[in-house]
Order: sequence, then C-alpha cells, then structure tokens
Amino acid sequence: MSPPRPLTLIINGEPRALLVEPRTTLLDALRENLDLTGTKKGCDHGQCGACTVHVDGERVLACLTLAHQVEGARIATIEGLAGPDGTLHAVQKAFLAEDAFQCGYCTPGQIMSAVACIREGHAGSPEEIREFMAGNLCRCGAYPHIVAAVQRAAQALEQEALP
Amino acid sequence: MMDFSYMRPASLEAAGAGLASGGTLLGGGTGLLDLARLGIAQPQAVIDLTRLPGLDRIEVTGTEARIGALIKMSRLAAHPAMRAALPAVGQSLLASASPQIRNMATIGGNLLQRTRCAYFRDASFGSCNRRNPGSGCAAIGGVTRGHALLGTSAHCIATHPGDLAVALVALDAVVETWSPDGPRALSIHDFFLAPGATPEKEFALASGDIVTGLRIPLAPAAQRARYVKLRDRASYEFAAASIAAGLSLTDDGRVADIRIALGGVATIPWRARAVEAALRGQRPTPAAIAAAAALAMREAEPQHDNRHKLALVPALIERTLTEMIGDAA
Amino acid sequence: MSPLDAPVKRGGAGDGLPVLGAALSRLDGVAKLEGSARFALDQPVEGLAHAVLARASIAAGRLLRIDTAAAEAAPGVLAVLTPQNTAPLAAASSWTGAAPARPHYRPLDAAIRHHGQQVAAVVAETLEQAAEAARLLVMHYEKAPAITGLDDPCAGDGTPIDMLSKSWGDAAAALEKAPVRLTLEYRTPREFNMPIEPHGLIAQWEGDELTLWEPSQWLDGMARTYAEWFGLRFDQVRIISPYIGGGFGSKALALPHGAIAALAARQLGRPVKLALTRSQTFTGLGGRPATRQVLELGATAGGRLLAIRQRGWNETSMDAVSVEPLGSVTGLMYALPHFDSRQNVVPVHTVQPGAKRAPGENPSAFGLESAIDELAHEVGQDPLALRLLNYAEHDHSSGKPWSTRKLREALAAGAVAFGWDRRDPTPRSMRDGHQLIGWGMAAGTYPVRRTAGEALVGILADGSVEVASSTADMGTGAHTILAQTAAEALGLPIGRVRVLLGDSRLPRAPVTGGSQMAGLMTGAVHKAALAAREALIELALSDPRSPLRGSGANTLRLEGGLLVAPDGAACDIPSVLQATGRARVEALRDTLAENRLKPEDHYRNFTTVSTMRAPTDGDYSMHSWCAHFVEVAVDEALQTIRLRRVVSAFDSGRLYNPKLAASQWKGGIIMGIGQALLEEGLVDHRHARLMNDNLGDYLLPTNADIPEIEVIDVGEPDPHASALGGKAVGELGIVGVAPAIANALFHATGKRLRSLPLTAHRLAEAG
Repeated sequence: MSPPRPLTLIINGEPRALLVEPRTTLLDALRENLDLTGTKKGCDHGQCGACTVHVDGERVLACLTLAHQVEGARIATIEGLAGPDGTLHAVQKAFLAEDAFQCGYCTPGQIMSAVACIREGHAGSPEEIREFMAGNLCRCGAYPHIVAAVQRAAQALEQEALP
Repeated sequence: MMDFSYMRPASLEAAGAGLASGGTLLGGGTGLLDLARLGIAQPQAVIDLTRLPGLDRIEVTGTEARIGALIKMSRLAAHPAMRAALPAVGQSLLASASPQIRNMATIGGNLLQRTRCAYFRDASFGSCNRRNPGSGCAAIGGVTRGHALLGTSAHCIATHPGDLAVALVALDAVVETWSPDGPRALSIHDFFLAPGATPEKEFALASGDIVTGLRIPLAPAAQRARYVKLRDRASYEFAAASIAAGLSLTDDGRVADIRIALGGVATIPWRARAVEAALRGQRPTPAAIAAAAALAMREAEPQHDNRHKLALVPALIERTLTEMIGDAA
Repeated sequence: MSPLDAPVKRGGAGDGLPVLGAALSRLDGVAKLEGSARFALDQPVEGLAHAVLARASIAAGRLLRIDTAAAEAAPGVLAVLTPQNTAPLAAASSWTGAAPARPHYRPLDAAIRHHGQQVAAVVAETLEQAAEAARLLVMHYEKAPAITGLDDPCAGDGTPIDMLSKSWGDAAAALEKAPVRLTLEYRTPREFNMPIEPHGLIAQWEGDELTLWEPSQWLDGMARTYAEWFGLRFDQVRIISPYIGGGFGSKALALPHGAIAALAARQLGRPVKLALTRSQTFTGLGGRPATRQVLELGATAGGRLLAIRQRGWNETSMDAVSVEPLGSVTGLMYALPHFDSRQNVVPVHTVQPGAKRAPGENPSAFGLESAIDELAHEVGQDPLALRLLNYAEHDHSSGKPWSTRKLREALAAGAVAFGWDRRDPTPRSMRDGHQLIGWGMAAGTYPVRRTAGEALVGILADGSVEVASSTADMGTGAHTILAQTAAEALGLPIGRVRVLLGDSRLPRAPVTGGSQMAGLMTGAVHKAALAAREALIELALSDPRSPLRGSGANTLRLEGGLLVAPDGAACDIPSVLQATGRARVEALRDTLAENRLKPEDHYRNFTTVSTMRAPTDGDYSMHSWCAHFVEVAVDEALQTIRLRRVVSAFDSGRLYNPKLAASQWKGGIIMGIGQALLEEGLVDHRHARLMNDNLGDYLLPTNADIPEIEVIDVGEPDPHASALGGKAVGELGIVGVAPAIANALFHATGKRLRSLPLTAHRLAEAG
C-alpha cells in the first residue's frame, strides 16, 4: 500500500502542509484534511461543478484532481476570494444583489466558475455566459439570476479596471 | 479508489520505465480518476505526465499543425493560429465537456477517453467484453438509446464518446507516439479500433506507447471544415450525433475534396466514406447531397431504442453540407 | 459609482416602506457566498470515522451471505456492518403517525426488494479506505423474479386507494351523452429530486444522547423517527441542520442511511460521517414515482366541459405505499358538472418513492392541462379562451368559494406580456428558418396547506432581537422573511434581528414542505414578536426600576427601538432592560389554537403530518394559482427542441419578499423545464435496474438550457390562507410547466407527446 505522503499546497496564498495518500483528491484534501469546506462535493465524477476551484488561475474540478498533482501550484478556493478585510469580490456582491443562489450549495463552485468565466473573456453576452457557465449545475434553478450576476460583475470589474 | 502509488516522471524515458513496470498514465485525470472511482480503472501506480517537458507546444506551419499531447483542451480551443487554420478543432473542443474539464483534460488523454456505455461503467455487470474479454455484452437488449449503430459487432455496441477525435478523423490527423523503441507515427484512421471480436482492444497502441502529439495536415478541405454537435441538453452532454465535415470545390463548382466524420453513432469516430465517394467529383446539388447523405446509415445496425438516429444522421450531413456550400458561395 | 453599489432593492428597511414585503437580499447570503456557511457534512467534528454503503446488485431475492474478510483486513477498516451482524432497530411510526406494521426495522436487510438497496456499510479511518474496502465485499444472492415497472405484465393493476376516489354528478352518463369526447393517456417517468448536496449525515453518541448533523426539511419529524428507532426519548435526539443544500421534498424523512450511520457510531463509540455517493442518491431514496393516467373528457361542441373521468396509477415500492395523487388538480381547475377520479398504486421492485416538488399536483396538471389543450384543438378554440370559458367561479369539488383566485388575472397578465394574441392557432404555422416555432400555455395551482407553528422571539439588552425556530431554510428564504416579520412587528430595523434555525432543540416547526413554511412560520413569529413587545411594554410600565415607570402612561408604543409614552417621553430598549436588570424579554408562542388544536396536540403537530389542514378546512377553498406561457423552437430534421422564452404569472397571495419569491417561482419553472424536456429514470427492465444513476446521464438542465424567464405577481393578500396573507410559493412554480411545453410542442409540430420527457427522439418516433 501507498502510505500518506507529506505535501505542501499553496492555498489562497498560504502554504499548507498536509499528509495524504496519493489517491486523495484535492477536493477531499481541502474538505477532510484542511477544513476548507467551502468547496463542495456534489457528484465526485466531474458532472456537476460544485467543487470548482482555481489552479494557477484557471477553473478546474477538485474532485478529479489528485492533491499530489497540484503540489506547488497556486490554488484558490472560495474562502480566499473576498478581500482580507472581508470585502466581497465583485462576483460575490453581484450574486447577492441578483439573488443568484438559493440553497447555496452549488454557489461556491458557481462563483469560482464565474470569476474565471469573466477573466477568460467569456461573459460578453447572456448566450455566451449560459454556455460558459453550463458546467455548474444548480438544482434550485438560479440560472437566470446567475447570468445577470455575471453580467453585472463583469461590468463592475471592467469599470474598476479603467484608469 | 484503490490504493495506488504516484510518480511524476521528469522525462519520457522515466515515464516509459514506469509504464513498463505496470503503471497507468495520468494526463488531466478527468478520465482516469472518474473510472478509478467507479472501480473500472484499477491503477496500481499512477504516472502523472502533466509536468513532462516538451509536450505542451502548438505549432502551425504553412503545411501542418503540430500539437503536443499535454496541451489542455481549452488552450488548443483558444489558440488563435489553430482557430484560423483548422476551425473544426476548436469547435469540437468547445462542444465537449465543460469549461472546467477542458482546462484539465489533455489532448492525449482526450484521444484515449473510454466509452460512456453504462454497462461498461458499472462494474457490477459481469458481462462486458471490453472489461472482461469473453464475458459477453450486457448492453445488447438493454437501455441502448445512446449506443452505436455503426461499427458494432455481436460483442460490443459501445459508442465512442469523442468530439475532437471525430474532427481529427475528418482532418486525416496523424498520432505521434513514443516508446523505448523510439518514436512512431500512425494515421488516426488506424488509431481507433472497432470492437469486432476483440472489444478490449480500443487503440492501436503497443503496451509501452505514450501518445506524444498530433499532426494535422492543412489541406483546403480541412481548413474549411466545421464541427456540429446535436444533443438533448444544450450543453455538457455527449453527442446524440455529431459531424465533422470538410469540403473544397473545384473552380467549376465540383467537389474536389470532401471529409465527413460522424460522432455519437459509432463505436469509433466514423469516417463516412460512402457519402464522400458519392459526392467527390460531383456538383453538390441538393439532390446529390440528399442522395449521398442517405448512404451514411446504409450499413447501420440499430438497437430497439436508437432507430431515430437512422434519419437524424443523414439530415445532419445534408444540413451541414448545404450550409457549408451556402457559406462558400 | 460601481454598478454593484447601486441600489437593487425595491423597498427595504431603510426607505420608509414596510419591512415585510420588501425585496431584501438574503440575510444568510454572505455566509453562503464566502463559503463559510457550514452545511451538515462540513461540520468539524473531532474523531470522525467514515462510512460507505455497499449495495445490492439484484432487484429481488435474498442476500445469502457476504464475504467480509478482505474488507475487514483492508487498511484502516474499523467495522463492517451487514444484515448478519446487525441487530434490528425498533420500527418507527409513519409520518402520519400511524403505528408500524411490524415491530422491527432493518436498515440493512437480507431480503432484497430493489436494485441498489443498501446491504452493508464499511467504516474506516478515511473516506478512501472505506470506499475501497466496500468494493472488496463479496455478496452471494438467491435471485427472485422482479417486477420492473408499471408496464410489467406481472405488476397487475395494483391496489385502489379509496381516499383518493373523488366524484360528483354522474360522469359516466355525462360522457355517454357528450357531443365531444376525448380519451387520452398521459405518462410521467421516474424522476429524481437531485439536490446538489447529496444526502448524508454525521452521527455522534454521547451516552444515550444522539446528535445528528443532517440536512433536514423537518427536524422534529426526523428526530421522532430516530428516537423511535433507537428507543430514545424525543429530547435525547438532537438534529442540527444549519443549511440545506436543496431538498425539493427529498430531505423531510429519516432514511435507511441515517439509521446505519447512527448504528455504526453507536457500535464504534465514535462519530461517523456517511455521505451517499451521487449514484446512491438515485437508489438510496426515491423521487417522483412513474405515473400513468387516462383522462376521458366530455364537452359541448363549443368547448364547455361536461365531465371528466380519470383513472390513475403510480408505482410504489414493495415496502410501503407512496401515492402521487393524479387527481389533485383535475377537478379543481374548471367548472365541471360531473367528475369521477380513482387511483391505484402498483408495487414494483424499486426504492421507496418520495415527494418531489408538487407531488400530485405536478403530474396531475400535466394530464389535465395537456388534455384541455387537446380539447381546444378538437373544438377549434384558442386554448386560453377555452380556459376562460370553463373558468371555475367556485370550487366544484368542495362546493366552497375560493378564498382568493387571481387565475383570470394571471392568464390575462401572462398573455399580454407574452403577446399571446399574435399567435397563429394553426399547428406548424410559425417558423424561423429551419425551426418550427410553437407557443403553448397552461395553468397551474397548489393548495394552501396549514399546520401550527411555534417560535421564540427575544428582545435582548443590546437592543437586538433573536428569532428562533427549528424550521429550515433550504433556499426558500426563511431566514430573511422571518427576520422581516419580526422587524415589522417590533418596528425595528432588520439589521437588529438575528434568526436561529435548523436545530431541533429550538422551538418546534412542522415539515418545511407543501409550501406551508412561509405562511405558518411568519404567523408564529409575528405572534411571538407581538407578545414579546407586550412583555417589554409591561416591564417598562410596571417594574419599579424602569425609567418609564413614572411616566403615568398606561400604554407605550415601540417605535424605531424606542419605547414612547403618549406624552412623548421615550426610552430605548437597552436602557429599560438594563435598568430593570433583565438580559432579555422573550415570548414563546405557538399557533395550535388558531388551528383548533389543544396544548396536548403539541408533539403530534410537530412530529407528524396528522394535523395538516386541508385547503378546504374552513369556509373557503384556498389555493395558489399560476399561468405559464412558453415558446419552443423545434428542428425536426435535427431532432432538437429548445425553449426560447417563458412568461409566467402567479397568484401566491401576499409576498413577504418579492425578490426571494421570484427566485422560488423561477426555480420551480426551471425544474419543470427539466422535467418536461430532459429528466427520466431509464430502467433496464431485464434487471429492474436504473441505468442512468449519475448527473451525466440523468440530465438536469444546465444554464445553457434556460432562456429568459419573466415572472409576474398578480396576487393580493389572502386573509383566510395565513395570518399575514401569503399563499403557497415554492411548489407552485413547477405546476403547469410541462404541459405548457407539451402544448407548445404540439403547436410547433402538430405532434402530441403524452409521455414525459418530451425528447426529440420521442418526437421523431411520433412520425
């Protein structure tokens, strides 16, 4: 058997040391080893998007990523999105304003996906947002409000970026 | 998932050594970890290739595109020179999976993805010739709405799930591999193996082979090819049917070159040679296109619940070709 | 100013408008957006062991034995629970309070009655170890023939459910004489709730006290079941369910996996976490059972309904009867002189079905509202006009007047917003390139259900207010509307109110289901808040230490956090409480008396559904109403169906928070879109086994499937329906969506699909 191996992950800018088996996924490492439970498990098979996190700035599924695979990479989770003073990220603010969530379970994944969607330049129109947010299932049916929130946040971020 | 060891080789040679001692390659992990959690893949040792140097380049020359096997799907889809030179590649990639998975999955891994046949993916079905050669096929006679109509055998009717692979088959791509014996190149047409009597053999790879990249020649028909995917859900679903179609016309308006490959309906990405032959050298009139498209499913063997694809595939071919000719005019 | 800082709420605590009814953002929103909201399985419990279930791979028969040696020897394994080594629990009474039929309950049972039934549990130090060891179990079965579904010849016609029989007039005779007569059969498949949070729990014992962190739509009901299973007093079980990651009816009852986790935790003397895998959420609990109904409609040549006769069947498990009442809305929607409805329940080898959003009303409306569209086509009438022609001015089923019924207004508002008058009535007449365009509409309804509630409202020495109840917020907005209710009753800014929910130690609440939570809990909170205010005023007037004691007033007003005497003398709440040496004044109130119950009914009211009142209990028949208008685009050649837009108008009575109500309505519509176009449990009938037990193959709608949705509020406060005037919201939205889409599909293509989902391949097969 393959015993747990030490590993350092850089999560939300902080190095975190942990001891996990090679087969442990990033999702289980975050939730069970690091008490970062904002990242949710919805299907464990890459079919729902609830576990979306960023690795080196790109959105990926933590359920299909081995923890050891991302050693040394920059990992961003929902817990690190708001500012250090608690100021919500533009996407979080927009989700609140547009009521882009109900139960809140898929929400961290939606938000991490939305941040990336905007950064990738895929928030140009409602149609484009729908397609590029299609990897995050929401059973409460917040989709129209998620589209509105992504549009609103994209505009805000664009304005912030202006000189 | 079963217990496995993990290594991250720094060279192809080291990866090859790991493979030789029974290891399993991991690209993006989206296929392997999914199947490992189902108990279908049972890796003893995982060889993480994702940081192997030298396999992450995209190069488009005047005659061909070269794509490293470790390129992520999303990066290839967004690559400006690729989009200009071979739009069908990006279209097929963007029609696949989800943005997150496209950020993870590699081109090499994507080529090697396994079927979505529910009977293959559920280990509690004892009968699956892909998993256990000679055990039978639990799918035949079951829920087979998404199963193949082309390239099937009495031993397996599992559909190939790919999108990119369909485009590559239309584009006459070449798969490059490496093994301790040296590099090798094989035609995409030889790469995927229809099940026949040996469904367990899915790819024409020897045991030590590592897929290192792709080459796609820039023929005029390939450069104008497009990819269209149909499915019940608007996104994030495997194809009910898909087509990669390329076409070039002579100066007098006849079909000079034509490529048609089909997805979602066959055990491998399916080149519709009969349709192509019927149109090559002909004027692509509506009647000629319809007549040719009707040939696509001539050899189809439907199951009880997927007969609707007999009409769907010719309609998709006809519509796609008609629109391409309209756009070219 | 950034657009994010622009005001988005209409009304609100700060702008002089009433707090209740203001479109405030969710008060529990920030925690959910930051990832700090800890759901049940996120709880940091020390010393957790992890349990994973193993399932039967046959649908019927007997588990002879399990070889556990390999699993037991696997690294990290602490215990393997099997039917052989697990003693039975006491059987619990049903959710209606009915006594159990058998004395014992075996959550791990050697008798196999459906594929995927849990037969063992492996507990290990880590999740990975437990999951892998569970795969090492080897089961030996004796297989028996299985009944796979309603169409299985062995299934038979099932058992009649007499309480669902309903009739008035003489439907048979009226049908015989009717100038127009249609006989139509409609079907719905097995559907699954599929909240994105999988079912699961953490169970911990301390002596004879059992604590469960488990998502729950009904903490008190589930606590009763656990108490009965384990022979505990009700107060020895504590359920903590701070947030619920969606339930839609599936998280109201204690389920076998809960019993297994609690058993394992007791056996090991350690807290145990057990989460169902996504696949197990398809086999460990059921959703909406498959249904079939035959409707016979009789009408005049002009389209006036004369009679409806209905026969319905729904499948249930081999264990117990689940009913999906197909006659729920059939006799309710239209002026109907003659009606006859009966229903049978057919046991098959499937997991026990559950309640999925609007159980009964939903498939009932699919049948009726499709049939009405078929009748409209048959008699050459506009479907909207036909509905108005047959508009029911009172409830023909009970003979009672409606409390409020703004269905006519909903139909009118929806039609105008949609542009219904521009519809060409001829099927296949509207096109956009290769797309056939179809416009369809349907109406829906959901009853007002009422159960007594209980709430504690405390006014604290720092001037803040605490509202406490064991009710649950699964995204419905309970946190927010209950804070709004208390703020309104006490005249305080909403920022002063804190709402504590989701703990069975808090004051009681009945099931958060049947769309009753908002109406009943706002009533209970309002009552408790007014009582707390009276207690505060009483204290201020009577306590010798009170600064207002000398004011000579015999009453005070509470305004903006100040107690004000008629002469204008005023004092803030903290001053009064501090001067009188009180940390808080509080009031615990229930609404048992308002629901004609006695104090001794308290336990029964909150832990069973036996006190839930019918919508016709009283002088009125009380329901919410809605009308949906949809546009579909169909590419026949490419076998593609896409929804282009939805306009829906709702009468849910008074809205406590229109922003959150709109989200609920849209959520219902979207679940209805999934039901209409995508969702279907696919059964391999050779094995009585579900083949698409995952989110890649059981298709929930994605963002890309959902077009623009406009929702319109046409409701007015209904004084009979609830204390503060609200009617049902959450379950209403889904009712009528599927038939509206089916009707649009018919308009687009001229083809009528009567089985859900309305997939392209069914359309192609319809020729």
